[in-house]
Amino acid sequence: MNKSYDALVVGAGIGGIRAALDLAETGRKVVLTDTRPHIGGLLAQLDYQFPNDHCGMCKMLPLTERDSSSQFCMRKGLFHKNIDILLHTDLLELSGEPGTFKAVLSRQSSFVDPEKCIGCGLCAEACPVSVPHEFNAGLTQRTAVHLPVPHAIPNHYVVDLDSCERCWQCHDACPTRAIDFRFSERKDFRILVASPRPDAAERLAGWFKHQNFPFLHAKTGQEALDTLAKDETIRLLVIDVRIDDPDAERLLERAQEIRPTLPVVASCPPEREHEARALVDLGARDYVVGPLNPATLVPWLDKLYMRLVSEERIEVDVAAVVLAAGFDCYDPGDPLHGAGQTLGYGRLPGVVTSLEFERMCSSTGPSGGRLARHDGQELKRIAWLQCVGSRDLQKKADYCSSVCCMISLKEANLARKRTFGRKGGPAECTVFYMDMRVFGKEYQSYRDTAESNGVRFVPARLHTVLPDPDDPAALRVQYVDDAGRITTETFDMLVLAVGARPPKAMQRLARAAGIETNEWGFCATDYFEPARTSRVGVFAGGAFGQPRDIAESVIQSGAAACNASRLVNLFAPIKDRGPEPEPRYRDVSREQPRILAALCSSCPTLDRALDVDDLARRLEGVESVVRVMRVDNACTGEGWKAVAEAAAELEPNRILIGACMPYAYVPRLRELGAAIGLNPALMDVVDVHSLVMGAMSTKHPTDAAVRERAEEDVFTRVHMSLMRLMGADPSPLPEPQEVTRAALVVGGGLAGMTAAMAIADHGYPVTLVEEAEHLGGTAMKLRRTLSGQDPVRFMEDLVGQVTRHPNITVHTDARVALSMGRAGRFFSVVSLDEGSAPVEHGVTVLATGGHESRIYDYGFRVHKSVLTQLELEQRLASGEIDASALSGVAMMQCWRSRDEHRNYCSRVCCAGMLKNLLLLKERAPDLPVYVFYRDIMSYGFSEQYYTKAREAGAIFVRYSPENRPQVEFEDGRPVITAYDPVLAAPIRVHADLLALSTGIEPNENWELAEIFGVHLDANGFFQEADYKWRPVDFLKQGVFVCGLARAPGSMGETVASAKAAAQRAVRVLSEKRLVCGSVVAEVRDSLCSRCGRCIDVCPYGARSLDLDRDRIVVDELLCQGCGSCAAACPNGASVLRGFTDVQVMSVIDAALGNLPTPRTAPAPAAATPESDPEPATAAPDAADTGPTEDPA
Amino acid sequence: MERFEPTIVAFVCNWCTYTAADLAGTARMIQSPNVRLVRMMCTGMVDPKYVLKALLGGADAVLISGCHPGDCHYINGNYKARRRVKLLKEILTGFGVDERRVKLTWVGASEGNEFAETVNELVEDIRELGPGETSRMMVI
Repeated sequence: MNKSYDALVVGAGIGGIRAALDLAETGRKVVLTDTRPHIGGLLAQLDYQFPNDHCGMCKMLPLTERDSSSQFCMRKGLFHKNIDILLHTDLLELSGEPGTFKAVLSRQSSFVDPEKCIGCGLCAEACPVSVPHEFNAGLTQRTAVHLPVPHAIPNHYVVDLDSCERCWQCHDACPTRAIDFRFSERKDFRILVASPRPDAAERLAGWFKHQNFPFLHAKTGQEALDTLAKDETIRLLVIDVRIDDPDAERLLERAQEIRPTLPVVASCPPEREHEARALVDLGARDYVVGPLNPATLVPWLDKLYMRLVSEERIEVDVAAVVLAAGFDCYDPGDPLHGAGQTLGYGRLPGVVTSLEFERMCSSTGPSGGRLARHDGQELKRIAWLQCVGSRDLQKKADYCSSVCCMISLKEANLARKRTFGRKGGPAECTVFYMDMRVFGKEYQSYRDTAESNGVRFVPARLHTVLPDPDDPAALRVQYVDDAGRITTETFDMLVLAVGARPPKAMQRLARAAGIETNEWGFCATDYFEPARTSRVGVFAGGAFGQPRDIAESVIQSGAAACNASRLVNLFAPIKDRGPEPEPRYRDVSREQPRILAALCSSCPTLDRALDVDDLARRLEGVESVVRVMRVDNACTGEGWKAVAEAAAELEPNRILIGACMPYAYVPRLRELGAAIGLNPALMDVVDVHSLVMGAMSTKHPTDAAVRERAEEDVFTRVHMSLMRLMGADPSPLPEPQEVTRAALVVGGGLAGMTAAMAIADHGYPVTLVEEAEHLGGTAMKLRRTLSGQDPVRFMEDLVGQVTRHPNITVHTDARVALSMGRAGRFFSVVSLDEGSAPVEHGVTVLATGGHESRIYDYGFRVHKSVLTQLELEQRLASGEIDASALSGVAMMQCWRSRDEHRNYCSRVCCAGMLKNLLLLKERAPDLPVYVFYRDIMSYGFSEQYYTKAREAGAIFVRYSPENRPQVEFEDGRPVITAYDPVLAAPIRVHADLLALSTGIEPNENWELAEIFGVHLDANGFFQEADYKWRPVDFLKQGVFVCGLARAPGSMGETVASAKAAAQRAVRVLSEKRLVCGSVVAEVRDSLCSRCGRCIDVCPYGARSLDLDRDRIVVDELLCQGCGSCAAACPNGASVLRGFTDVQVMSVIDAALGNLPTPRTAPAPAAATPESDPEPATAAPDAADTGPTEDPA
Repeated sequence: MERFEPTIVAFVCNWCTYTAADLAGTARMIQSPNVRLVRMMCTGMVDPKYVLKALLGGADAVLISGCHPGDCHYINGNYKARRRVKLLKEILTGFGVDERRVKLTWVGASEGNEFAETVNELVEDIRELGPGETSRMMVI
């Protein structure tokens, strides 16, 4: 297989999916790979996400041109027309130059033919193996042939070769012969054994023959080479290390020259194992240690054979690569990770990891979501211990994993919810922490809510965990509390908040992709461009470069996608690409419905459970059905060809396919539609198998009553789908809307300029509007970064690039005065000094930035000795402050933030404080520096600077918001009085300077919010559509947000968000016309009374009253098809395509068996509702007036 | 005597409960085939007239199930459903229909077993209540 794609995305977790979708939506062809056998990455195991305790993955699906991808829960699967997903696939090699990379992928086989597997589970019932199930973090057992996740679609069983015992029982149990151990091909698998020992060779020959493998023998190295040169059919070379002439090493080298792809394995006696290992280092695949015996050798050879014959080597040409392999969780039981068993983990069953706890809370988990102690008792007291495997020098992890604090808060919330309402009250939750790092937007209030709900926070490290002598299933933990007392408490469960580690195969992946890793094994990235790796053309998405939560992974992936897209653009500019051939669909709006129904009969399920012929006969009796055909393989191309042929003959205008797993057929329907010229919206797939799947496991499903019942169920389900399809509106969709392919960026700071550059580099004109006299914004005021880069130069470069860019028009001293229109077509007016300028644009990016907040307190602006951290930074840079002349510096964190004034963490202040502190300490190592803090938010790799600051001798004093330090002034010098929890005593600090961490406030945004019809959050930042899943979008499409206007962040984070926003904007601009989805709301004007209820009820603001035409209009791009308007409309004037009243009513009738269905010949429909495209008001009226006419 | 098998029409949202129901179906968690799934895009589009139609058409109970509060794919559809169902129940009670015959629940996409439990509980409740009278009591 050799294919060409625009981009390769490695890792199909959230990061990878976001990057792939971002690229695919702009028309790029993407290949998305993952080593796991399922998509979703770590998130497949996490059912709940902070800060709302739910899932929302589906919100990542495309909003414009919705039909290009699947429209259902993303945990089940993702089908996008521009994305090919390869699971079980590793990147082996990446060669070539950016733009013309050649990637070699290797796909492992699952040994279960996905086209034959029907997911009945009989194989797993037969399998005798029992090993821990990875999906449930080892809390449950699985068989060797198993379902990797319970919910994926298509969900096929896979054989885990490592644990498989090769008993063939699953093979025999499979009703569709889907399991293939490739036995018949063994006769072609010629094995050449190069061994100087004739006796050994003879023994091997006997065993191999018994196993059906052709065997060849070479006594010397030369003989082996001659055979190899002559015989091209040899598939495996076994080298005995004792071979001579030439020796084993030379033989391996020469063999690799003759046949570069030939797999080689070594065999050796026990005392010469090191030689065999050396061969493996030289490129041999594996080695086996003698004395050889058939009991171990045969299964080993068998598995080797299976791997070799089933691995598929795939070469793809790609222009750019995005790596998003995410992170693994630290395993406290793994000695490789450092300390071995941590705090009784693995020994005491009450000690679990946060991932295990998450599985316990899950409905698909080991206990179905019921929380209990391992002895079955109620969970009364649960404790979380933070920073297990992170912020730990001993475990080689001097970094913060950034997500664990929030995960523990979420789990505490979940634990309370799960145990709420029981007799003893909800579980008591305690979190033992070092710093609660709640630095994301809304995270602080999430913590506050947890605290007010009774979650207890204890700043302490546990040092001992033992079984409780009185109750051995409980845990007795000891810690030193704030006052220095050793405290003992008893808990039922201790959850270790495990940190992030680079993915297990990171070293291999880094080698294959040719990228560098940092000292902790994560991908090394650029500070200002966190999506950039050490190799040009290879970008880091998601949490690949640093542990990140979902929102930031999504942003990071957007940035990586933007960089990749820019590169692809150089090689295949989107603008120059011809539009893809648009499928032409027949206009069937004037035809009576004619339905072709096809039932898949490739699996024996249906036949076993019921009389399919009788079912088909009954279905043919349903109104509008022209034929019910049986297809042999609906899951393969052949089956679809049969349907296409029948469609060509009968010319139906609706097609229904009864098969298994309807989700998987989304792309097929699209293809079929294009082939026969029928709109896929008029086709449907209905699941007929899962209803009768139970019949597969019972041995004798012949009971007549059971069969009748099964037939009735299947008939009803198909009938319901037929009814929905019959009522489907065949009229063409609203005309696609023309796009003005230009952008308006508001704000000329770091975010605005980066976004403008990214869009302009794609070849679209950009108008950049800046309120101030010069470009630059807040980032221009910075003098250095925490890791020592020069932001001034970076910013000056950027300003230069922006002003010189031919596609960017810069307006300084300018403001947007008004804007109207919708995604793809905006019209705005920019007011300038010299008047006003009209701008037509398709998208808007709001990057209005923020500023250092100023609250006049603690002597700020009264005493010269009080200044902000930013002022300190500037004065240190300019030399205005001489560190060596100071006698003491005090720093105050979280000044008027994370409290009632501004209830959020500004993220950058702790880094800013560390930056200044380290510079002071560098210049004057003996200068006393006191930092008064609540929690140090040095998340990610900035943790190392916190460590350095403590090493440098800075004194950190924790304070609580109830007990803030007091500041007085003596001769203008600050004197700070505070309580030190470590000394357990009040302290007084005299300093020359008091530096305040003032935090970030957004600029005044309300006016812009009004102009563009978007919202602000409680703190004045722009309110994104969804914090986690759509962090740079607004609910209003076509308007995007980035930088400090969205949320506080460092320069790197600001750049990432700007690029992510730019990529979303390019998505809209990349097409000349924007197509809406097929499930979209419409208005029947003749029935509409203009009451306006639908306008209020629409969550997307897609509806408005057009005063000129006196009608309600729907913006079909904004409309996402939720149907709220249809339910709210009192007249039935508002309808949702695909879910009209006629359709739903007849589906209900079919569900209840209230439609006449002659069992034999089709009869003219009499009593069933007419399939009228106009709304039938009869049905709703009847329902509405029914109760009032109650004669009783 | 044969056990009474109630017929339940379930209006489920495309994003959460339909996924859960599918999971419950493929994992064979639901043994009783009493429930007829009607997929809607969102619970917010379940018009009360659909519920009435089902009850009048002979359903013994109606189940409406969608995403958890705050989790709606369409932002707030499930809140609309909650208000609507509360009102509908009051009206139905006025007409002598037991309000237990209309049930609103939230079932997330991965909560297959919860969907199965919800259905099984409802089936048990309705068995206790007996066959729905609505279709006989009221003549349209």
